[in-house]
Amino acid sequence: MRKSVVVGGLGLALLAAAFAAAQTTNTAWLHVRVDEAQKASKVRVNLPMTVIDAVLKATPELIEEHGKVNLGDHHGMKLADCRRAWKQLMAAGDAEFVTVESEDENVRVQRKGDLVIVYADHKGHPARPAKAEAEAGKAETAAKDKGPGEVRVEVPVSLVDALLSGEGEEVNLQAALAEVQKRRGDIVRVHDTDADVRIWIDEQNSPGPSTR
Amino acid sequence: MAKLAIVLAIPLALLATVASLGVMVVDVRESGPDGHHIVVPVPLVLAQTALAVAPTFAHEKDLRIHDAEALRHLPLARQVLQALAEAPDGELVRVEEREEQVVITKQGRSLHVQVHGGHGEDVDVNVPLQLALQALPDAEGNIRTTALAAALGGVRFTDLVKVHDGNEQVHVYVW
Repeated sequence: MRKSVVVGGLGLALLAAAFAAAQTTNTAWLHVRVDEAQKASKVRVNLPMTVIDAVLKATPELIEEHGKVNLGDHHGMKLADCRRAWKQLMAAGDAEFVTVESEDENVRVQRKGDLVIVYADHKGHPARPAKAEAEAGKAETAAKDKGPGEVRVEVPVSLVDALLSGEGEEVNLQAALAEVQKRRGDIVRVHDTDADVRIWIDEQNSPGPSTR
Repeated sequence: MAKLAIVLAIPLALLATVASLGVMVVDVRESGPDGHHIVVPVPLVLAQTALAVAPTFAHEKDLRIHDAEALRHLPLARQVLQALAEAPDGELVRVEEREEQVVITKQGRSLHVQVHGGHGEDVDVNVPLQLALQALPDAEGNIRTTALAAALGGVRFTDLVKVHDGNEQVHVYVW
């Protein structure tokens, strides 16, 4: 009798420990990491998804107001056209969608597995003679000051799918947020000469070592 | 002899009672040979009583938040604090720069804010989440002094604030 009580107690204790472990490991955390090497600055934000859920539930008007962003056709292409193009691109599988090469920068957009990757490398401007410098317009000054650099952005395909799941000329932010909440892994990665930014979701309460 | 024992026992018993109910201590130490050391103990029961009777003596409008913008964000603040209280422990924010470091962690039922400055100043603040929740006014903006008084009892044995700026140390804790 005593033996069965001990075994039963041990079983219950193990069950409770397993339940507690499951409780701690199943909580999803949103992590944001920003590293700026030149400024020797590091920012880490780790938020339980339950907190983000609470914020979204407490501010339904925020989603209602901003949940669907109307892009219109300010950029020369209607969102409906983007949606159609996106469907066709997805059907094509892994491929390089866009390549723009110019004097100032090269831009490439490609799909690799479940990621859309955007590479942009800005060449900067070499020093020019004083006369040419004087002739250069003010508008060019900002670009010239930027100097060479590269940006790499990785966005999951499912996130773009969710964004484009709306109707008409509106991106569906609400669906994108829902997608983010179920996702585990990287959401966005930006690698620039000035800074590295990584946003991801996992079930660890503190960020692990860099995988880059 | 028995009389003396009784006379001594009364203040000792009172002291023990007050201590058992909790004391908030403000401890300030100045550095240097002439530095002062000031310790101000405030019995929690005194603060709780003051909070409990405040609505009787204070004017109603003095115990209410009137700022419409602040009132609009109260439900969000409450939801965030509640979600944080229920969330697992972990480091929430870490900002490291050349001369400064800020770390916010959730530990048990508190938020722990640590700031380390480049000139040797250190600030540690513990925010008991339950106290912060009770400190939030209700939907109409009324400060709930009775709930706040009750929540004060739950922050015993907590270091609330520690500040060290090289010349001075300030320590506020509840014992």
